[in-house]
Amino acid sequence: MPKIDGSPALRGGGAARSPRIANYKIEARLDPVRHQITASETLTWTNAGASEVDTLPFHLYLNGFKNDQSLLMRSSRGKMRGARATDTGWGYLQIASVHVAGVDLTSKLHPAAAAGTDETVVELPLVQPVAPGATVEVAFKFTAQLPEVFARTGYKGEFHMIGQWFPKIGVRVGPPGAERWECQPFHVNTEFFADFGTYDVALTVPNTHTVAATGVLTNAVDADRGMRTLTYHAEDVHDFAWMADPYMDVMSGQAKLDDGTVEVRVYYRPEQREFARRHLDAATGSIEKFSAMFVAYPWPIMSVIDPPVDAASGAGGMEYPTLVTTAGDSVFARPGIRFPEYVTVHEVGHNWFQGILASNEAEEAWLDEGVNEWADVHVMADLYGQRSSFIDWGGWQAEAGALRRSLDGGTGDSPSPIATAAYAFVDNTAYAESTYTATMRALQTLERTVGSQRFAAAMKAYTKKFAFLHPTGRDLFATLGTELGQDLTWFFGPVFHEVGGLALKLRHADCKPAHAPRGVFGDGSATQTVTEIEAPDRGTWACEVVVQNTGPIHIPVDIELKFADGSSQHLRWDDRGTSTWERFALERSSRLVEVWLDPEAKIALDNPTRHHYRLTGDGAAARRTGAWFGSFAQTLMQIVGP
Amino acid sequence: MPRLGLGDLIGAGPRAVSRYTGTLFAVFVVQTLIAASCMIAVTLVLAQAFSHLPMFDEAVDGDLVALIYCMRHGKPSLVATGGIVFGAVVLWQLASWFLAGGLNGVLAQRPEGRGDTARCFGASGATTYLAYARLALCSLPGWVIALFVFGAGTSLVSSRIANALTVPELLGPLLVATLPALLLIHLLWTVSDYARAELTLRHDTHDPGVVATYLRTIAFVIRRPVTLVHGALGWLVFVLVTAAYAYLAQGHPMYGAEGAVTLFVARQGVSLLRMATRVGILAGQIELGRTRPLPPRRIEVKIDPKA
Repeated sequence: MPKIDGSPALRGGGAARSPRIANYKIEARLDPVRHQITASETLTWTNAGASEVDTLPFHLYLNGFKNDQSLLMRSSRGKMRGARATDTGWGYLQIASVHVAGVDLTSKLHPAAAAGTDETVVELPLVQPVAPGATVEVAFKFTAQLPEVFARTGYKGEFHMIGQWFPKIGVRVGPPGAERWECQPFHVNTEFFADFGTYDVALTVPNTHTVAATGVLTNAVDADRGMRTLTYHAEDVHDFAWMADPYMDVMSGQAKLDDGTVEVRVYYRPEQREFARRHLDAATGSIEKFSAMFVAYPWPIMSVIDPPVDAASGAGGMEYPTLVTTAGDSVFARPGIRFPEYVTVHEVGHNWFQGILASNEAEEAWLDEGVNEWADVHVMADLYGQRSSFIDWGGWQAEAGALRRSLDGGTGDSPSPIATAAYAFVDNTAYAESTYTATMRALQTLERTVGSQRFAAAMKAYTKKFAFLHPTGRDLFATLGTELGQDLTWFFGPVFHEVGGLALKLRHADCKPAHAPRGVFGDGSATQTVTEIEAPDRGTWACEVVVQNTGPIHIPVDIELKFADGSSQHLRWDDRGTSTWERFALERSSRLVEVWLDPEAKIALDNPTRHHYRLTGDGAAARRTGAWFGSFAQTLMQIVGP
Repeated sequence: MPRLGLGDLIGAGPRAVSRYTGTLFAVFVVQTLIAASCMIAVTLVLAQAFSHLPMFDEAVDGDLVALIYCMRHGKPSLVATGGIVFGAVVLWQLASWFLAGGLNGVLAQRPEGRGDTARCFGASGATTYLAYARLALCSLPGWVIALFVFGAGTSLVSSRIANALTVPELLGPLLVATLPALLLIHLLWTVSDYARAELTLRHDTHDPGVVATYLRTIAFVIRRPVTLVHGALGWLVFVLVTAAYAYLAQGHPMYGAEGAVTLFVARQGVSLLRMATRVGILAGQIELGRTRPLPPRRIEVKIDPKA
């Protein structure tokens, strides 16, 4: 029998942190053979807006797995993060009945008007509109058939990862009096957006199964026929996910915060024990770091599910409040290759941006994924060292942010700007590049431009101000502008709202011997010819450097010039978009040999390959590489011939 | 004919290498020239793309991020580099039919003195060149089968490989899956070597047909497992020498010593050792080839009516 968690659902108890608009009570029973859940749900929803509500929309996310005509399947083409949807493992959510205030409205439930073949959003017209400030109680009975694990949820063998499994109400957004429902159909790029509330969930599962779930375990009793009922309670969360598996072990540790501790549990299959230890260290460390960077983690428990390796591509790498799934366990992830750690840090980090701030992930996914990526890089550096935060193995080292940027397709490749609704990107690659890496690049660039400490303080102010309030991009921009004390529209506009990146390059650089003007000067009798005898070389060099930026994003650029005598000179192009090029002329005692644009690598928005130029080529590295390839070719020759 | 054992075959190697060191060097020089040409061509291509970019220096010095940037930035150069390496290997493959023929001829006829050895090398290489080329064509179906066996084996264990958590979990299935293909490849390799030896040894007296020789050699190799063991030992030495170099160079990014010339010279030593091993194996194969039953005679024998 699992041990009951003694702690309250919020660390230290205390008042509600959120408006608690959508509160759920669910009783669910898992059939592990049919991978099916039968459940009853009571939603208590409050109209927190200033206008009446006559229809309630609900997400039935599991219907995304129902057939190949769902938006999820059409937009993913049945593939996501290396996992494939199978023809034998469809999932769906069937509502047996729905009652509002005791009235059976089952027959009124209908798919959303614009959904087409998609069945992931349904609408329920009400008999009585819900007045502003009023509360309505909606009772469902439903069956959730889990898919074979794909796109974050489902079963694989006896492992069950159960997310987005119950009817979930949409969110009212917009100005008071003109609110509208935000309830997007389930698209491969869109994650989730919901109101905060409390969850009381009783899960009946085989007593052989280990269960991990959102919230704290408040009760555990044996039920009939080898089953057991576990009751969980969660506060100020916007979702409830759980895992059931008969083979999982648990490893736990404690994250120490300024105002107490957080229990961290990693659930893993025994063969993944070594990786579980790494995940535990990463989760514990990251909770401490994220809490220090932003706001303290408000819940007493964090559960990290390390899915079985054959389920990791489908179930791994997903965040829910107080519960995340990780991934990356592989023979190739040797100690020092910190991909597993990075996944854990990233998913734990979501508990701040998706869990506490809870921005709209369908409309502004970058506020969660991208801002989280930026923060992850800092946490990884704090935990594992700046230079080797991602890789420190076999003589190779790589920093997480730099590695992410180098592997990325490059800025400006995506035909959509960062601030694009997740479902509106041309494809998943564009979504990922813009939402994750481009956002990280943008924030890193701004951070290095304004100073790391000031930027960190501004981000902390943003999270404190908007915790549990669903901030938008405008909120972030406004807070950063205020906290940093400057108008940053010149940056946010093009970087977040325009297509294309920075296209910075050295156009031209050379030097020639400096001398006084030569040639023919004046007219008529005043004509004077100045030759190199009258105007000899002064022994110095007249150098010219031309830098261009043809991209839509313009940022001040530092330039370092190096000269043959070992000296150097710093220049600055205060590029604010008034010109696409800048010419620098200077006279020096020595010839120019190198030009380095952005020598301190402040600009993360550009590919730095062309930032550092040597005016005269040096083939030493090419020769060494050529020797390597020559030797490699010779080895192949010796295999095919004598 | 005495029946030769593994010791005899191995013993023939050092004898041949010490006796025909000059021939070994000559073949090695040809190979080195092709490898050096490859090196120069690759150097020019890479220098064209990267000599002005200090980031490439960092990449070669082991900066992983710089390496990724350079690879992304210089994709056409990398494709060209791959093409140059491929071209060098194909060129060597074509040349090797002549060089292997020459080597086999020298080992078979055991000429004395530089002049005779050179003449024997050239004549044998030239006379068996087309036969060796036809032999390569003959062996193609076998290679296709080996490729199929390899693909089938790896696809059987691909999910286990993808889900491996430890090195034994990775290598175990990989070895089991690839072993049939590796054994088949080794068989095909050994058959080709002995068929070449047969074509060289019997060219002047029997002029055996290539297809018939190939088929007879398959039977011969299967009947005499010592041929496979002997060949496998050669490959084992080849792998050990390569692995030893890799081990010594471990921790040096791109297996690099300092400077291209040092690097090239160090690697030539490794290559020379491996080639000596290959020549030693060829010598053993020629020795064993002498003991094979004679093929059917295809050469028209002139009968002297006066006799």
